[in-house]
Amino acid sequence: MTATMIARLSSALLLLVLLAGWELYCRLAGVPALIVPAPSAVLATLWSEIASGRLLPHLQITATEMALGLALGCAVGLAAGIVLAEVGFLRRLLHPYIVASQVVPKLALGPLFIIWFGFGMTSTVVITALICFFPLMENTMTGLGQVDPARRELFRMLGATRLQTLLRLKLPSALPVIMAGVRVAVVLALVGAVVGEFIGGRAGLGASIIAAQSVMDSGLMFALFIVITLMGMLFYQGATWLERLLLRHHLKG
Amino acid sequence: MRRKLPRTGSRLMSIEPHSEGFVAIDRASYGYGAWPAIVDHVDWTIPRGAIHCLVGRSGCGKTTLLKLAAGLLLPDEGIVRIDGAALREPGPQIGFVFQAPTLLDWASVLDNVLLPISLKRRPRAVDREAALDLLKLVSLDGYAQRYPSELSGGQQSRVAVARALVTQPAVLLLDEPFAALDALTREELQDDLLRLCALHETTVLFVTHDITEAVYLADRVAVMAAGRLHHQIAVDLPRPRQREMRYGQAFNALCRELRQAMDLAP
Ligand SMILES: Nc1ncnc2c1ncn2[C@@H]1O[C@H](COP(=O)(O)OP(=O)(O)O)[C@@H](O)[C@H]1O
Ligand SMILES: [Mg+2]
Repeated sequence: MTATMIARLSSALLLLVLLAGWELYCRLAGVPALIVPAPSAVLATLWSEIASGRLLPHLQITATEMALGLALGCAVGLAAGIVLAEVGFLRRLLHPYIVASQVVPKLALGPLFIIWFGFGMTSTVVITALICFFPLMENTMTGLGQVDPARRELFRMLGATRLQTLLRLKLPSALPVIMAGVRVAVVLALVGAVVGEFIGGRAGLGASIIAAQSVMDSGLMFALFIVITLMGMLFYQGATWLERLLLRHHLKG
Repeated sequence: MRRKLPRTGSRLMSIEPHSEGFVAIDRASYGYGAWPAIVDHVDWTIPRGAIHCLVGRSGCGKTTLLKLAAGLLLPDEGIVRIDGAALREPGPQIGFVFQAPTLLDWASVLDNVLLPISLKRRPRAVDREAALDLLKLVSLDGYAQRYPSELSGGQQSRVAVARALVTQPAVLLLDEPFAALDALTREELQDDLLRLCALHETTVLFVTHDITEAVYLADRVAVMAAGRLHHQIAVDLPRPRQREMRYGQAFNALCRELRQAMDLAP
């Protein structure tokens, strides 16, 4: 048995112990289910939601919003990062605005987006994209600025054009930093999609949490937390897998 | 408006500045926009097909002089000519091997060697064959589809040399390319380099701080100190150079002379 297998087994065991402790506490101390539902009750609710087919459409909506927002935000952030890294004049011109826009709490713009895009998916996708945009832009700029000077001289020596230097040297060199930005964006995208639905969603996991809250169904809320967490882990795993694929030949360190 | 040092006396050795040379560095100075000049009125000519070495302590301006010869830097004063034409920017007639191998991690060994071609046009089957032949010549047969992260330091340096030679440049400039390698690997690579350069009579300027490396490779060695060339010796050992020569009397006498010249230089 390898060390990683032992570690994984121990992690699973820890989860079981924690759940058992939680269950025992709820039963022995008589905590009202409204405040903290027991794990068994949460799982039962989760199962009934799945079995009744009520969960799946909401899950699909939130996953779609998250994927669309992530893709849109990453694409625009990457493009903006490239432009700002390549055009020094624009970078200096926009620098104060970039700093300011990073400080602005993007979620606070949610109500405004509802006015612009209405209730529903569009405004949530836009909020998610806006949140994902910044880590991608930031990391792309940083990564493109860190290219090894000797390799840049090599490309000059070989008479490479600016576009060739960007596509064949700078972007591949910056890829590790860019992919680190993607991982950050995935985590933020989940927050964006769920909280976006809190503000302006009609359907989806975030909207379902609000609906559960209005009828004081904490069991359902916990069940939704579990679904959201699992979905986030799936997306994160996907990003890690993509990163490993893209960086499989890059030297470590 | 750069202040200049008053010139005291004449240089120890000076070659006639306008002598016929394939690579001609003519009173070139460069200072990274500051005073004093890092390369200070250097005159040097390399005949076609010759191998010249430049030795000197680190920080004396060797890399800067090499970049002037490559067209990566333009001299503040003076001029660099390749085959009679003034050099204004790097061109395909010059190959450059950097101090570190500077391979692209994400490209296979073959794609790394083909880089100078693939930046100009789509590589053809003949280009691929030429690259594979070059890899064979630097004993990397069978490594074409590997990636740089799977190679040793010596193998990476071999790929860098093959990459610089794949377009058959008339001039090859090398900046301490083997400095980070162990002694045995370094000697192998020196032999490989001499063999490759003999193939197309490449004109070579090789920068090193290793005296024996300079004597083994060169037809002529110059000593650089504080931005100037202070001494030159002609190496008249027969070619092709062989490993046994390293232990011969003539070789060691040349090394000693070079060492003394370096000690005398300021
Ligand atoms: N890009 C640069 N900007 C300013 N000064 C530099 C730069 N590169 C090198 N120098 C200076 O030039 C001097 C000679 O450097 P270099 O040519 O690299 O020497 P060598 O290759 O002989 O070790 C050093 O003292 C260094 O401080
Ligand atoms: Mg140097």
